[in-house]
Amino acid sequence: MPKRKLQPLPSAAFQILLSLAGEDLHGYGIMREVAEQTEGRMRLGPGTLYSSIQTLLEAGLIGELDQRETAKRGQERRRYYRLTAAGRKLARSEADRLADLLRVARAKKILRGEYV
Amino acid sequence: MSEKIYAWLLRLYPPHFREKYGDEALELLRDRARDETGFFRTLRLWLDLLTDLVISIPRVYRSVRPALIGSAVQRVGGGPAFFVLEDGSQRLPAFVFGGILSLAVLTIVFGLLIHAGGQKAVGASAHADFASSSLRSRPSLSATSENAENWQPDSVAAAFQGAGGAAPMDAAERQRVIDGAIANLKRFYFDKDVALKTADALLVHEKHGDDNAATQGEVFAGVVTRQMRDASHDMHLELEYSQAPLPMGPPAETPDSLERYRQRMLQQNCMIRRAEILSHNVGYLKIDFFPDASVCGAMAKSAMASVNDADAIIFDLRDSTGGLENMVALIASYLFDHPEYMYSPRGAPTENSWTRSPVPGNRLADKPVYVLTSSTTWSGAEQFSYDLKNLKRATLIGETTRGGAHAGAFHRIDDHFGMGIPEEKAINPFGKADWEGVGVGPDVRVKAADALETARKLAVSKLDGK
Repeated sequence: MPKRKLQPLPSAAFQILLSLAGEDLHGYGIMREVAEQTEGRMRLGPGTLYSSIQTLLEAGLIGELDQRETAKRGQERRRYYRLTAAGRKLARSEADRLADLLRVARAKKILRGEYV
Repeated sequence: MSEKIYAWLLRLYPPHFREKYGDEALELLRDRARDETGFFRTLRLWLDLLTDLVISIPRVYRSVRPALIGSAVQRVGGGPAFFVLEDGSQRLPAFVFGGILSLAVLTIVFGLLIHAGGQKAVGASAHADFASSSLRSRPSLSATSENAENWQPDSVAAAFQGAGGAAPMDAAERQRVIDGAIANLKRFYFDKDVALKTADALLVHEKHGDDNAATQGEVFAGVVTRQMRDASHDMHLELEYSQAPLPMGPPAETPDSLERYRQRMLQQNCMIRRAEILSHNVGYLKIDFFPDASVCGAMAKSAMASVNDADAIIFDLRDSTGGLENMVALIASYLFDHPEYMYSPRGAPTENSWTRSPVPGNRLADKPVYVLTSSTTWSGAEQFSYDLKNLKRATLIGETTRGGAHAGAFHRIDDHFGMGIPEEKAINPFGKADWEGVGVGPDVRVKAADALETARKLAVSKLDGK
């Protein structure tokens, strides 16, 4: 079921996967990273954030760090999330899909910047 | 205070969600409230929260529904069914909050609608498309890597524009296209082993039914492109789809089309925007494109002649969108006193890969050269920068370039599909990766806007030091 919910990949879920590409983050960290990588266009609210996180967890695309690892960060109260190999793969294929779309857009000349 | 309100609002979520994420959601609110102070940011925070509630509550409930359907609730006939989403019965506060929330949301949506009416999205703006206007087709099908790119924008893109309703693809058509792609790979791809490996991968994917979901040409082309790239690790391999029938080959070069191209180029001064002598006798050439030397050779020669007496020369490629290798080699000819190989990753060397040095009467062969680059400097302009940098003939000043080494000749498969295949791979004399995807890094890194000033200073101090 979660797999089906992720097809097509909602943009919030994709942004969350991207935000975790660099490092493990807790909820607020993800929110800030997403806001940064979208230049403030996407500010994930708690409901969207955690429901997306839940879906991604169920699909095995991200994982939760265990207590010990979290404790090492001195942030016992927060849950940290980490991108899994499957999540990285899905993010990459989504990026490929967008790149393909870009290629079509370029071929249709709706973008600036031609190439030879 | 706001935390309390939000804690109440959280009751609108189902218990299992509250249990797991309620504390974290409150924590997140505290973090945001701490970081986002001031009237407007607080207002924005609350707008975000309310919008988020409206969007996410139905989502969270939807995600518990399948479990309910699976267990207790039986659908009766085909009639509408009512699912109980909460474990317990609804409490009065939930209804009250629901009511208040709906009113708040309606007000916001209404406000947004009025607001949005005033600002329509700005669509793709018209722009001077010098690069594509300067593309031209080559008459022969014996494709060099260049001519694919030359005819694609003119014909394939034109074909794309003839959009209409596309018929879905069936298995037989997918089979035909894959067979065509495999045949082309085996015949044209420069590395036979990789071609075989890629062909095998395509067959395996087909056998496993990985392509079956792709009933639209564009989607199918994307799927196959990814499969080929995964197997070959070559990002230049691609399957293209065009809704309108593809022409049988690159459009023949007629005297008319050649004349139109020539006229366009001459009107644009062959994209040589400036050719002048700056103070301290520093020559300055601003080249926004490297057009075909057979059309623009004379104009390029006269531009080079106009700076022949300069003591140093600056090539400004900050706005350059690329061009053809023969023009890159022609201009570089003035910078050497012996023929020099101008490496391009697009294909095996041709006679145009060497400079025509020495150029009779030329006095620039031993003068300091500076090349100005920006993050948008592209393709052929990057070749010029890359080669001169690696030949230690120029100092690059500015930003890392955009990173387009594009190669891949176009091969038609049928009326709607064609593919790009790199046919040759030139050996890089500099023994490292070319600039595809990474760009050419400058020797002196400054903002593109400051590059000319920096180059002038460097040139003057070098000339003074003589």
